[in-house]
Amino acid sequence: MLRITKLKPFPSSLTTHNLIQRFPVSGTAKGKAKIKAGQALKRSKITTKKPGSELKPGPGSKEQQEREKLCDQCLQAPTPVRYLKPKEREREIEREKLGLLSKERQREIQLMKRKDDKYKVSEKPTIIGTPGLDYISLGLVDEDKIPKYELTVEDGRKLAKEYSRVLMRKHRERQAKETTLLRLKKEAIEALPEGLREAALVPDLAPFPVNRFMATLTPPIEGYMEKVREAAQKISGTEKIR
Amino acid sequence: MRMSLIRPLLARRGFSTSSEKLVASVLFERLPVVIPKVDPVVYAFQEFSFRWRQQFQRRYPDEFLDKSHARGKGDYQIDYVPAPRITEADKTNDRKSLQRALDRRLYLLLFGDTYGAPSGKPVWHFPEKVYESEETMRKCAETALKSIIGDLSHTYFVGNAPMGHMVVQPTEDPSKSTPFKRFFFKSQVIAKNKFNVGKCEDFVWVTKDELLEYFPEQAEFLNKMILS
Repeated sequence: MLRITKLKPFPSSLTTHNLIQRFPVSGTAKGKAKIKAGQALKRSKITTKKPGSELKPGPGSKEQQEREKLCDQCLQAPTPVRYLKPKEREREIEREKLGLLSKERQREIQLMKRKDDKYKVSEKPTIIGTPGLDYISLGLVDEDKIPKYELTVEDGRKLAKEYSRVLMRKHRERQAKETTLLRLKKEAIEALPEGLREAALVPDLAPFPVNRFMATLTPPIEGYMEKVREAAQKISGTEKIR
Repeated sequence: MRMSLIRPLLARRGFSTSSEKLVASVLFERLPVVIPKVDPVVYAFQEFSFRWRQQFQRRYPDEFLDKSHARGKGDYQIDYVPAPRITEADKTNDRKSLQRALDRRLYLLLFGDTYGAPSGKPVWHFPEKVYESEETMRKCAETALKSIIGDLSHTYFVGNAPMGHMVVQPTEDPSKSTPFKRFFFKSQVIAKNKFNVGKCEDFVWVTKDELLEYFPEQAEFLNKMILS
């Protein structure tokens, strides 16, 4: 619905009137008390502190406490190497010179002092995936032929360049082979006599066989499916095999 | 195939091949069962990126991870030892078994009398049949394979069209001196481990490189046509 009215010029006086800050604004609803930086803002919370029972454990709380502890650990799970942008890194270095340490930096130092392996960056090449079924132990990759590298950005760039080079070369070869295939197919169809040629040009829309085997990591083990079925029937869902 | 049913009603019933002889041969292949070998450079990059990401991965406490491993009912898995990728047939180089060279394609070759070969001399060849007024060449190829294997329930012919052709000039025998065309049709093995190959003296399942040994003169053409 079009309303053909003259657009009134927006009254600028009103806006200026509304948007000028006339009253100073404080951080809380409580008023204009001076707020110190970093102080927790006052919230309207009803706390009843009974005198003398500060560390009272709550009801049924051991599990609750453990659960909360687990929650906290998950929410603040550490990483071996902190992700810091370059500016942040510089700032950290400067702060260390001044003697200030952020909480995260302190945590990092603590973790580095730990002896076990969990929080360290692994130095040797690690296995990707489940130990028995990874590429090296299955013989898919020759371990000695893998080039040695450090975990730095330049090495990463070099590796990425070679990776993309190898894969692109393979892709191009595959495309070339596919074009030759199609070309041969076309020539063969043309070499057919008339009636057969039209029959050959009919697209075959019959569905693919459903049980066409897809290549997997290891060949199928004979008799595995029967074992699983028998076990499932025997146990009938009350126990777990693994 | 539905259109070809209408065809016989037209005046094509009496279609016969003009003086040319056509032969339909079948390239019967078994697709790889296992994934192929991985280039070490590719693996190196994947490992590098995995380790780099792991640096920044958050380490969660073990109790938390154990809970996520809890398995639901009905999800059964028996601990198994993975079967080796290099089978016994590989070690003995048994060319008649289909379990050899699991990460490559295997093609069927027969040793016997063929149409184009000089008579009496058995030769390595693909399963083939001379075209004699069937409806399509693909049907001819199917009958060719049927006569060798027995039944076609475990085969899948890929498409109606041939995948390549060669013009064969029989040089030795003067009586069969007409050049004929050999058309190749592609078909794949579906869900079977052992075939009873009959109607020939010998058969092998070969990979592409070995195939090229068997056919020294046509090696170039076969190189283009196969395993692209």
